[in-house]
Amino acid sequence: MPEMTDILNALVLFTNFVLIPGIAYGSQLALGALGVTLIYGILRFSNFAHGDVMAFGTMVTILATWWLQSMGVSFGPLPTALLALPLGIAATVLLCLVTDKLVYRYYRAKKSVPVTLVMASLGVMFVVNGIVRFIIGTDDQRFFDGERFIMKAREFKNLTGLNEGLAIKSSQGITVVIAIILVGLLFWFLQKTRAGKSMRAYSDNEDLSLLSGIDPDKVVRITWIIAAALTTIAGVLYGLDKSFKPFTYFQLLLPIFAAAIVGGIGQPIGAIVGGYVIAFSEVLITYPYKKVVTYLVPESWAPESLLQLLGTEYKFAVSFMILVIVLLVRPTGIFRGKVL
Amino acid sequence: MVSNMSNAMRATLAFTAMGTALVMVGVFQSWALSLTILNLCLISSVMALGVNIQWGYAGLFNIGIMGFAALGGAAAMLVSMPPVDNAWSAGGWNILFSAIFFIATIFAAWFVHKKMSKSRFQTIAMIVVLVTGYLLTRKFFDPAVDAIEATDSAKTGFLGGLGLPIILSWPVGGLLAAGAAWIIGKVALGLRSDYLAIATLGISEIVVAILKNEDWLTRGVKNVNGLPRPVPYELELHQSEWFVSLVEKLHSGSLIGLEGVAREVALKAALTESAGVFVKLCYAGLFATVLVIILTLCVLALNSPWGRMMRAIRDNETAAEAMGKDVTGRHLQIFILGSAVCGIAGAMLTTLDGQLTPTTYIPLRFTFLIWVMVIVGGSGNNLGAILGGFLIWFVWVESEPGGVWLMSALTGWLPEGNAVKDHLVQSAQHMRLVVMGLVLLLVMRFAPSGIIPERNR
Amino acid sequence: MKKLILASALMATAGTQTVHAEDIKLGVFLGFTGAIESIVADMGPAAELAIKEVSDSGALLGGSTVTAVRGDTTCTDSAAATAAAERLITSDKVSALVGGDCSGVTTAALQNVAMPNGIVMVSPSATSPALSTVEDNGLFFRTAPSDARQGEIVADILNEKGVKTIAMTYTNNDYGKGLAESIEKNFTASGGKVSINAAHEDGKGDYSAEVGALAAAGGEVLVVAGYVDQGGKGIIQASLDTGAFDTFYLPDGMVGDALPEAIGPDLNGSYGANPGTDSPGAAKFAEMAEAAGFKSGPFSAESYDAAALIMLAMQAAGSSDSGKLKDKVMDVANAPGEKIFPGELKKALEIIAGGGDVDYVGASAVELVGAGESAGNYRQIAIEGGKVTTVGYR
Repeated sequence: MPEMTDILNALVLFTNFVLIPGIAYGSQLALGALGVTLIYGILRFSNFAHGDVMAFGTMVTILATWWLQSMGVSFGPLPTALLALPLGIAATVLLCLVTDKLVYRYYRAKKSVPVTLVMASLGVMFVVNGIVRFIIGTDDQRFFDGERFIMKAREFKNLTGLNEGLAIKSSQGITVVIAIILVGLLFWFLQKTRAGKSMRAYSDNEDLSLLSGIDPDKVVRITWIIAAALTTIAGVLYGLDKSFKPFTYFQLLLPIFAAAIVGGIGQPIGAIVGGYVIAFSEVLITYPYKKVVTYLVPESWAPESLLQLLGTEYKFAVSFMILVIVLLVRPTGIFRGKVL
Repeated sequence: MVSNMSNAMRATLAFTAMGTALVMVGVFQSWALSLTILNLCLISSVMALGVNIQWGYAGLFNIGIMGFAALGGAAAMLVSMPPVDNAWSAGGWNILFSAIFFIATIFAAWFVHKKMSKSRFQTIAMIVVLVTGYLLTRKFFDPAVDAIEATDSAKTGFLGGLGLPIILSWPVGGLLAAGAAWIIGKVALGLRSDYLAIATLGISEIVVAILKNEDWLTRGVKNVNGLPRPVPYELELHQSEWFVSLVEKLHSGSLIGLEGVAREVALKAALTESAGVFVKLCYAGLFATVLVIILTLCVLALNSPWGRMMRAIRDNETAAEAMGKDVTGRHLQIFILGSAVCGIAGAMLTTLDGQLTPTTYIPLRFTFLIWVMVIVGGSGNNLGAILGGFLIWFVWVESEPGGVWLMSALTGWLPEGNAVKDHLVQSAQHMRLVVMGLVLLLVMRFAPSGIIPERNR
Repeated sequence: MKKLILASALMATAGTQTVHAEDIKLGVFLGFTGAIESIVADMGPAAELAIKEVSDSGALLGGSTVTAVRGDTTCTDSAAATAAAERLITSDKVSALVGGDCSGVTTAALQNVAMPNGIVMVSPSATSPALSTVEDNGLFFRTAPSDARQGEIVADILNEKGVKTIAMTYTNNDYGKGLAESIEKNFTASGGKVSINAAHEDGKGDYSAEVGALAAAGGEVLVVAGYVDQGGKGIIQASLDTGAFDTFYLPDGMVGDALPEAIGPDLNGSYGANPGTDSPGAAKFAEMAEAAGFKSGPFSAESYDAAALIMLAMQAAGSSDSGKLKDKVMDVANAPGEKIFPGELKKALEIIAGGGDVDYVGASAVELVGAGESAGNYRQIAIEGGKVTTVGYR
């Protein structure tokens, strides 16, 4: 029987390297996937430009942050970027509304098949991709300031006397808190407000909702505004936690889509669950359990090998394997997403 | 009838324009560049044809093209590279044993699945078979991999290939891709639109991950260089008499009156240029032959009763099913055919590159770009897909010098050393993406069915 | 007598006095878009800095000017890279190429375009050992050291520090993988233990899985064979944040002031080595880079040196023709001769024009061996007080 401290050590170890990073990354993916899923549910297409729109919003926020910092403004222990966020959101909303007017509206009016809209979003993706690089360049940008840690690994060790440390970054804390608030707000909006109800009605049955006097333009506009806000916030939180680089944001598109699909696209709750499924499948399957097991079993049983299911080089493939398996069992995702 | 006429005219016009563009590159830049672009255009067209078969004929939204192209590329390497004897003697037997156990496991599992009645006993038998098979396979596989990867890892460290002519790899690449498509199709074709799309994307990522990380098979990220060519090497041509005399004859006008060193310098320059052009023409001939064969088969198939049935299924799945057509079966068929064409194109591309580079395979280049080709060219129309392949690849390559030129022209009025000017000229390479996006958006807006739309029948 | 006349006539044609000023073009063939676009953002300007320096000096081949023409390798797409190289060589008529960057596209461009056209390529960053043996007709050189040498250096330093067990992560490309294999081979041969050798992909969203795996395997030091502004930095940051590792070994791709600046004081105590000799070259280059408005990032010093070497070789050959200058690259890069540092290209050109000999040291301590590769003199560094400081040379 392992001692209490061993169990605690194993628990802390697991929390520090699997649970906390997984929750933070999962939350970032979930916010991104929420935007994708809203657009899919209401505008009825998979928006491939999402990753680059995310980069755009983050870029504006970074520029605004730098400006604020140069003016000597700061947000105490919190990152200044949170103050600059509204500006980033405003710019992204503008970008989305303009692209909708220039590009997507035409196909919506023509009632084009969804794949046409997907392809149009691919065009928007290319253009925004280029614009972002023209403005801010290709470099890595860091814009985090304020207090970096809520809890440092060493402090935790000193505090508890355990072998293993537990670190919580403020960016992780902020990410989770903001994600919870946003998800709450979004569900309240969709369930309780008039605009939210009309969005759900439009999503469920477009013709019927038009009959009952819902203004489709308004629904579309609100959808873009919410999606743009979610996207920008997701991008900024991600950038605060890691760093900003246009190429990485483009690459984020795939896991975000995987998250939205695996949860059942068009279902907000599915996007959230999907985000965590993708994030945790990466970490859980490639994590070597040797150290955790060593704490839990008698010394003589301690494993020789790393107890790793698959090498980290396969982590990206692993999240897709999980995706494919989920789809085989539930062809429209965990929460039975929309089929167009 | 009228629409047919205008379609034929559109095609003629579009291909003439495309041909003119390539000639212009030849005149204003260089013929070697023009032919390089042409060769890649030909390969792109084959790939676009493959996608068009799936999307244009059957409405299958496959965004896993990258994976099939990668399998074709792997085939090119596995067919053409000579075997590495040391690696085979180090780990060959163990690899063979593990392969045997692997296949035996699959068969045993299949047997249990098919022949035993559904019961708890069947589940237990299945688990026993799979776990034993996995352990036995790993028992031989792990030491084999270690041994193979340790044989001179900086230069080889893999098993090599079969040492056969590389041109054989084109059909082999097609077969390999078809085999993968059969498995994927069996598993995933039940999924609808976007779910199918993301599943194919996921599987293609898995294929590429395997190519990147199984060093014993493909050398992984260390690349396999120096694949043998199906056409002569430029430097061999410099040495061969017939070629030298041919060049002398062709350039007799410019060589006349030159003596000694001056003549030799001029002849050498002419030789270099001609050899480059000659090799590229050989490739172009091979690729064009493949393209014509595949196009002919496509046209024949599309005009046959089978083609009519496919279109019926695409346009109204429910109605076709009600009429007793085997929709899933036909979908599987077309998924395999289209993927095989992509595999052939992948093998041709690796042949042209002369090397297998697994890191090449990224969705932007091998999935999204091919889709842009099909949509811009005209989905459902074979000639449209081919034109798309030509046009988009041309723009992809030429937008770089074009972007630099444009940025310099746009900022010409700004003084030298101006920060904005420097910044814009420095980032001119990113015009490629903007241009690609604009081409796609403009074509989709003003020619929604593509430059050469599908014919109304 | 006749022989003597002939010989002097040959000398005259080969000498520098007879050449006429021309407009020389050099290709800067790097991945301006794609996976390593953020690194190339500093490599391109570095090569162009050397080109401008030479062109402005008016000392090359009777006052020839040199202009840079960019070509995008995209780092990954061999097809696009081949087309770009074809354009540079046959349409823009460049005399030689500075590049390519990633080993895959470099080999493709070398074998399909540069070799058939007899054009010299000097790569600042292709480290693959396969490139040492590839058939190149003496046209390929690189200012980046090969992985094999660095593996020995890393093992030596780790052993001297008394490290017994390391964990290692590498960027999943030919550079990272080749280097990691070389380090593992040398370190285990000297009695060390590698607890895990895990790949990471650059430009991906999240590295918690990698850090978790590395931490679980454990080790006294984490060796990070990556790039300073890519996944490598992400892994170090996350390892420090979670308390997984305190000390890191930094190979050449990770050495740069950008790293301690980004990570902060937690990085103090980590160490590593990058190519360099006991010379003021690197520091001087960093100053020049700052003045020109770019960072002295990974492989930017090598890019400057690659361009400089080509132009010095032109001067020595008395011709901008690749076929002639290829035989002079080794001469100008190596002893004997006067040592040349960044910013002294004019002086070097004048020495060569006067019939003297130079030994180009440059920003990355260039010394070419074997088939035209960097010999790999290393500068051992430590991170102290938030700065990269030199400990010694080996």
